[in-house]
Amino acid sequence: MTPPVGSLRLRLLLGAAVWILLALVIAGLVLAELFARHVQDRFAVELGHHLDQLASSLRIDAEGKPDLVRPLPDPRFSRPLSGLYWQVSANGRVVLRSRSLWDQTLALPADASAEDGRVRQWRIAGPERQPLYGLERSLLLPEGPESLQVVVAEDLGELDAAFRAFNRTLALSLAALAVVLTVAAVVQVTLGLRPLGWLRDELAEIRSGRKRRFQRPMPSEVQPLIDDLNALLDHADEVVERGRLQAGNLAHGLKTNLAVLANEAERLARPDAQREDAEMARLVLSQVATMRRHIDHHMARARAAASRGLPGTGTDVADCVSALVRVLQKVHASRNLAIRAEVPAGLTFAGDRQDLEEMLGNLLDNACKWAKGAVAVMAVRESKQLIVSVEDDGVGLSSEVFERALSPGTRLDESVPGTGLGLGVVRDLVTSYGGKLVFAPSSESGGLRASLHLPALS
Amino acid sequence: MRLLVVEDDPILLRQLRERLGTEGYAVDAAIDGTEAAFLGSNEPYDAIVLDLGLPRRDGLSVLRSWREEGLSIPVLILTARDHWHDKVLGIDAGADDYLAKPFHMEELLARLRALIRRARGHASSELRAGPVVLDTRTGTVTTDGQPLDLTGYEFRVLSYLMHHAGEVVSRTELTEHVYAQDFDRDSNTIEVFIGRLRKKLGGDLIKTVRGLGYRLEIPPDDAP
Repeated sequence: MTPPVGSLRLRLLLGAAVWILLALVIAGLVLAELFARHVQDRFAVELGHHLDQLASSLRIDAEGKPDLVRPLPDPRFSRPLSGLYWQVSANGRVVLRSRSLWDQTLALPADASAEDGRVRQWRIAGPERQPLYGLERSLLLPEGPESLQVVVAEDLGELDAAFRAFNRTLALSLAALAVVLTVAAVVQVTLGLRPLGWLRDELAEIRSGRKRRFQRPMPSEVQPLIDDLNALLDHADEVVERGRLQAGNLAHGLKTNLAVLANEAERLARPDAQREDAEMARLVLSQVATMRRHIDHHMARARAAASRGLPGTGTDVADCVSALVRVLQKVHASRNLAIRAEVPAGLTFAGDRQDLEEMLGNLLDNACKWAKGAVAVMAVRESKQLIVSVEDDGVGLSSEVFERALSPGTRLDESVPGTGLGLGVVRDLVTSYGGKLVFAPSSESGGLRASLHLPALS
Repeated sequence: MRLLVVEDDPILLRQLRERLGTEGYAVDAAIDGTEAAFLGSNEPYDAIVLDLGLPRRDGLSVLRSWREEGLSIPVLILTARDHWHDKVLGIDAGADDYLAKPFHMEELLARLRALIRRARGHASSELRAGPVVLDTRTGTVTTDGQPLDLTGYEFRVLSYLMHHAGEVVSRTELTEHVYAQDFDRDSNTIEVFIGRLRKKLGGDLIKTVRGLGYRLEIPPDDAP
């Protein structure tokens, strides 16, 4: 068992899908991260400005309390719970705060009051427990007695909203891009694999006999395969042809010798011969006949086996019939038979020409031997079947004789020349094509009608 | 009647020569394709028996070249190739009949007789000239129903004249069709055979056409 290899198309598409997905996910993550960083930086810079502004606006008033020289310009500081807050505390006590904080204070972490003047960042809880991003520094005003802790904080919620909006847009764009890329991949794979489709079409044509070889030029990746396939077809033809030739040579060699033996025996069997000689001659003649039957039978079987399933075989019936009629008119010239052929043009037998000639030739030959004056051959197509009928106007056969007609080597009438083998050969060939041979009385002439049912080609 | 038999199997060739000889034919033999092609093109045969599987040159190609030369001698193919495909090839190459080995000698003889007769346009197997009837099937000659006893050469001369009844047949032509090639021919002996035939047939059936040859007269009531 070979492991399933699946579909080439599916493989390519899955590969493309994996890459597209991976690339887009990475791109999305990187973009989202870059955006977040950028926005956070902007956020921090802006908050830093607010802190600087607050620090530079602070003074100690006449009562020794911290106060603002002027209110901070951003209106959000004055709108309650706007999300932007500031607060000034001294010794952990809140001494000044923005209006936006209303009655709340920003709770700073415990160690938030180091006095080094450095700006520090915190995440702290806001008035409504929402997360805030805060900047904090210590400040010692020249006129003040103690250091002040200055905090500016902004609601991170807005930042999150911006992220969410950006990420949604990003995700939608990337999804659209994924769809476009997938469609492009499908188109690419389809176009790329099209030569395989051509290959299949051509193979179908070869199987059905419309073509002998692959002829269509193919891409350089497929062409070597085509060349190999053509070479294989050549080889198959060659093997079959060589096999036929050798079997034929053997048969021909033997038949010439059989002819010599038969002639010698016939000479022995002349009326004035001795009794032993005559018996000997009869024995030799019957053995010669048997040997000939064997040769013919096995030749036909070899032929049938060799041609079965061989690609590239299709035979024009009309052409074949007219060739056979030419032969029969010569071979049976002395009988002055009218041989009528009704075969529509374009009818094609799905098999080897020589096989069809063999089957039809034997049936026609029999018909010519039996006919009184007329033989007809007709061919029709019924769905996928080709039906070729051969009729004669002879005496016809009884049903019991029909049966016997099909057993190998049976002669229907010893007085008609011919060995009766013909039908055995026909039967073997018909069987090898999955067809059948049917005998029936001829409706027109009352003689015999033999019909071959064979596979047809569209 | 003079035949060319082309066959490469020596025993079969001997059998054919013997049997055809006793049937009253003058027989030449060729054992390969080249020899066959030469003899067929250069000698006036009445029919040719041709094997297909020949050394040096295939029988089919020999037959085709004869037909291309315009040679119309009837050719019977006698071969072991008995597939219908071979028969189609043979007939399409210009053969007039096809017989597969092994064969019955009687059938070969019957087919040869029919071929020669048809080539001369005779429909019946009996040739008739006045009271003389030659049955090509049995090789017998009768005058007014009485069997006539003829020697082999006398039969050949009469048979040729009857196949060509009404035509002038030269002495050379008779010689060529009565003797096999390797025979030491002497056209004077033809005169001897004619003389004997005239004596046996009676009447003046065989006319001498001065300077041209002989003609077998068809009495008016026999004319078609």
